[in-house]
Amino acid sequence: MSAGAVAPPLGARIVAETRVVAALGRRSVRQAFRRPQFLAPIIIFPSLFLAVNTGGAGRAVDLPQFPPVNGFLDFQLAGAMLQSTMLAGVSAAIALALDIQIGFVDRLVAAPIARWSFVLGRLIATGVLGLIAGLWFLAVGLVFGAEIVAGVPGALVVLVLVGLNAIAWGTIGAAIALNSGSPSVAQGIFPIVFVILFLSSAFFPENLLLEPAKTIAEWNPMSLIADGLRDPIISELSLGPVLEGLGGIAIVAAIGAVLSARGLNKKLRSA
Amino acid sequence: MAAIEVRGLERRYSGGVLAVAGIDLEVSEGEIYAFLGPNGAGKTTTVRMLVTLLLPTGGTALVAGHDVVREAPSVRRSIGVALQEAALDPLMTGRELMLLQATLHGLSSEEGRRKGDALLDRVGLTQAANRRVGTYSGGMRRRLDLATALVHDPSVLFLDEPTTGLDPVSRIAIWDEVRRLNGEGTTVFLTTQYLEEADQLADRVGIIDDGKMAAEGTPTQLKAQVGNPHLEVVIAEGGSERAEAILVRFGDPIPARDGTLMVGLRRGAADVAPIVRALDEAGCAVEALELVQPTLDDVFVEKTGRHLEGAEEHQPPAGETAPA
Amino acid sequence: MTSGVAFDFRSTWALMRRAINEIARVPAAVIPAVLAPTIFMCGLAAVFGNLTQLPGFTTDEYLTFILPVGFLQGAAFTGAATGVNLARDIELGWFDRLLASPAPRGVLLAGTVLSASLRVLMPITLLMIVGLALGVSFPGVDGLVIAVLLASCFAAVAACYGVILALKFKTQAAAPLMQAGVFMAVLFTTAYAPQALLTGWLQDVARLNPVTQILEAVRQGFVGEVTWADTWPGLLALAGLGVLMIGFALRGLRRAGN
Repeated sequence: MSAGAVAPPLGARIVAETRVVAALGRRSVRQAFRRPQFLAPIIIFPSLFLAVNTGGAGRAVDLPQFPPVNGFLDFQLAGAMLQSTMLAGVSAAIALALDIQIGFVDRLVAAPIARWSFVLGRLIATGVLGLIAGLWFLAVGLVFGAEIVAGVPGALVVLVLVGLNAIAWGTIGAAIALNSGSPSVAQGIFPIVFVILFLSSAFFPENLLLEPAKTIAEWNPMSLIADGLRDPIISELSLGPVLEGLGGIAIVAAIGAVLSARGLNKKLRSA
Repeated sequence: MAAIEVRGLERRYSGGVLAVAGIDLEVSEGEIYAFLGPNGAGKTTTVRMLVTLLLPTGGTALVAGHDVVREAPSVRRSIGVALQEAALDPLMTGRELMLLQATLHGLSSEEGRRKGDALLDRVGLTQAANRRVGTYSGGMRRRLDLATALVHDPSVLFLDEPTTGLDPVSRIAIWDEVRRLNGEGTTVFLTTQYLEEADQLADRVGIIDDGKMAAEGTPTQLKAQVGNPHLEVVIAEGGSERAEAILVRFGDPIPARDGTLMVGLRRGAADVAPIVRALDEAGCAVEALELVQPTLDDVFVEKTGRHLEGAEEHQPPAGETAPA
Repeated sequence: MTSGVAFDFRSTWALMRRAINEIARVPAAVIPAVLAPTIFMCGLAAVFGNLTQLPGFTTDEYLTFILPVGFLQGAAFTGAATGVNLARDIELGWFDRLLASPAPRGVLLAGTVLSASLRVLMPITLLMIVGLALGVSFPGVDGLVIAVLLASCFAAVAACYGVILALKFKTQAAAPLMQAGVFMAVLFTTAYAPQALLTGWLQDVARLNPVTQILEAVRQGFVGEVTWADTWPGLLALAGLGVLMIGFALRGLRRAGN
């Protein structure tokens, strides 16, 4: 009487799994737009912070050690995008933790889908949100007088890096949610995002930071990602910073993936 | 082939707590099996193991012919699951959730839409289908949960406390739906703390307490095990002692509330008429008299020494006259 | 007795105590609020500290310059949190119970809002401890007292703002609006740099923003001497905002039953 008690052939299963991941991804994106308090940290707060930083510290371009830029806004865009995607990762953590709390994850575990599909669905959604944020800040920048020195190719590079960074931080978010199962723990991570960003070159050139932030920023993978995002905006496209940016993203993604896998194993079949 | 076969199933949590302490049961295809027990007895833990959400720490379980540990994906393809906390996303609409569930089970979009709409209609949610689940009442959520569990035509349906917390009308609606599903051939395994539910719905009942099976059988078999019905009598002022003396001729007295006399009837309902005549001849004025058949709670009390929680809700109010 | 001044005080105190008890019940929710201003202060100082090299900057110590911003930020977050808590209470139906009680609307507002004035002392204390440890010079007793009083009152004003939004939207989804509003109020000022060094558009906004006056009044003890000339604009701005916010909040409360 059961329609699908026999396992379908491999090809059909891959197709089905892709549809599952897409469906779960669509759901996560829809969720973000249906809960304004999830969307706000991704767009509104980084934009406000961008405005304040640009307005308040804008004269920093007059400092002799400041790297050559078209304007302080051009410098700041990378930081805003970084902040946005990191917060998107934390928001995804809260959403996943809520799913766990209301038992929605049980629905997914009891279904004949691959174990990692629901995390993958959410990661893709976070990547999409990251891209949207990247587009937003590039647009905002252009409207308010910034210039993308590397032109359209540069903008594309920026968008790719932003999307990948969002996915990397999505894995961190998944790790937080799966290991803690609690939305309030995930919420408490927000300030830590700011700490990590302050201790990097996201908002100000590394050489102009005060100690001990300067030394920490030299080791912080977020500095690599920030510089990689920033380079196509403030100068001609070059491979070095982009590769460094990808390297930083890979480090974050690796940490997130390992912790997520551990959390996923713990979560499945144990509660 | 049995739909569900469980041998020595055990679940020990870290810290040593034995939530399920080795149970055996078997559910035939096409049966409705009720797993009855108080809160904390291990019902939900057992169900979670059977639907592959939890790993057993001992014993084996086969669902639809597949091992829950080693063939979990096959089990998942054959079962429908509606758990206690209706795991619904409040931000999604009923239809969106139904379509998602269909996709999770590999149905094409068209199939999913067709079956989803049919199921929504079946549980009476067509009107509400495009509203967010967060706006649904408790009864509506349970119905949606039930409908999503059916989208892939499972052969075995698991329902964990399907009517807990529902109003009587919603409860009856769920019961009707379960009977209908069973009529179409679906095996139903449900857990409940309401003996009325087990009594009304189940072909067979398994009573679980403290992680162990206390009894198993059809409702009639179980109740017959406990023995005979008892009589509850309320006598007007002055006649109590005489009445007591009469009643003990027909069976053992049972401790009861003040003012009520209770006695187990050795010959069952056949004793009612003689008792009434005897009381009448002795001049005892009977204010109330009720013949109470054994309930599953009586079975539970006999096997475990305690009442089932929830049974208190169903005590008839004192003074009600029963058909003689 | 369900009327009269004594009842009002008792009710206010009881509501305040409930709001404060929430902290003990859900510490995880509060810790970020207490830590955030200090994190911001240290972070901004580490990142933008070299701004003091710009000619025209009024002090050498950036940390000292932005610590007062932390005071107002703490007040702002505490106020916004009050609004979010009220929104949650409304969603849970608990607020209906308060509305149905004989307590006058002013008492309900006072109880909710004054708890923010007290709670702000937590982030402020942490700010001072960390600031002093990192070398900020003590602002003098007069400077500190003024700063704390102004921050405390600002917390109440921010809480009124939160209450207004909570009553209007009746959902926790309005939280970002509350947080964004107070964020802009505090940071679209001379927070990062003196007026003359702000970029064009922010210069204009900061000049018009009443919170700039409050910030300068809070800051005065830290960067110099406390004078009446530096204090009264802040008091006036605070009073003006207070009257406005309290007015709207009371109006919102009176309409809440409908």
